[in-house]
Amino acid sequence: MRFEALREILLKGGIAPRHVRRYLAELTEHLDDLTAQQRAAGYDGEDAAIRARARLGDDSELAAAMLEQKSLRSITVRAPWLVFGLLPPVAGMVVSFAFIAPLVVIALLFHMATPGSIHAPGWFQELAFGLTGLGNITLAPLLAAGFVFLAARQRIFWFWPLLAVLLIVLLDLQFHADFPAPGQRGGSLNIGAGLWASHSEVLLSHWRMSLAQLMLTLLPVFWLFRKRTIAG
Amino acid sequence: MPSESALAAGLSELMVLRLLKEQEMYGYEIVQAIAVRTRQTLTPGEGVIYPLLHALEKDGLLKSRRKNVGGRSRIYYSLTARGTKKLSAMTDHWTSLSNAVGAVLHAV
Repeated sequence: MRFEALREILLKGGIAPRHVRRYLAELTEHLDDLTAQQRAAGYDGEDAAIRARARLGDDSELAAAMLEQKSLRSITVRAPWLVFGLLPPVAGMVVSFAFIAPLVVIALLFHMATPGSIHAPGWFQELAFGLTGLGNITLAPLLAAGFVFLAARQRIFWFWPLLAVLLIVLLDLQFHADFPAPGQRGGSLNIGAGLWASHSEVLLSHWRMSLAQLMLTLLPVFWLFRKRTIAG
Repeated sequence: MPSESALAAGLSELMVLRLLKEQEMYGYEIVQAIAVRTRQTLTPGEGVIYPLLHALEKDGLLKSRRKNVGGRSRIYYSLTARGTKKLSAMTDHWTSLSNAVGAVLHAV
């Protein structure tokens, strides 16, 4: 790919990926124009390409011009402590509430959450058990993968994505649905996090699922380590 | 007093804003227009124009849009209202600076 070395320099230098992408696209178009111009001037084949590349500027000149523009730096580079230190717990809680919100809305629509409410029907219980189970196994790993992806695309130092993933592991997001025996009213949907989760004993009894969640959450970091090790 | 590189950066910014005041252009067109109007006096690596365009857009002085012309998709830049104001201020500044330098050079 054209400008691959330049891409790496810019990303490692902290330039936001969208600016890097656009810069390289513009340079590619510009180089095509310059090559066409050289051909029109009578140079052919490789000669035209070499002259066009020289006029565009060498990689170090092109990189220096971009790196000089501090405003084009990514926030993940300017404030990694914010993105990888503060954001993971906040994102974890926001995503958890967003995930459980449809169940709450359904419960409200079907008058399951008001005094004297009806017993939660079977379909709702199945939906609630399914969604909370899905949330327990997928949400933390997906969140971790998101932060590792952010770090990978910006070539961020490994410490920061590791910190984000460890915070997500410590946050220990948990969902739990609970319904009484048929004929009795009530039921509850719970979101818990870490040491203060009201249903941690449930997860302890389902240690296989907890272990699977932990492994899946750590998996993106292992992937990043492997990718960086291979890349040298 | 501004440093030499700051003067050069300010000069590039001024020329880009001035050219885009006339019409929207894409990077290659801007570089060609600068070369023609300065009679090839300013010939940096042509690719270095883009970081400046990105930064000016980020500052709200330019806006961009992708446009298909002759079967090719290009990013065209144009001046915003804020860019027009900045151009006016920069033009005044450079005119007075140029007059001042001219007065020193042509004295005696």
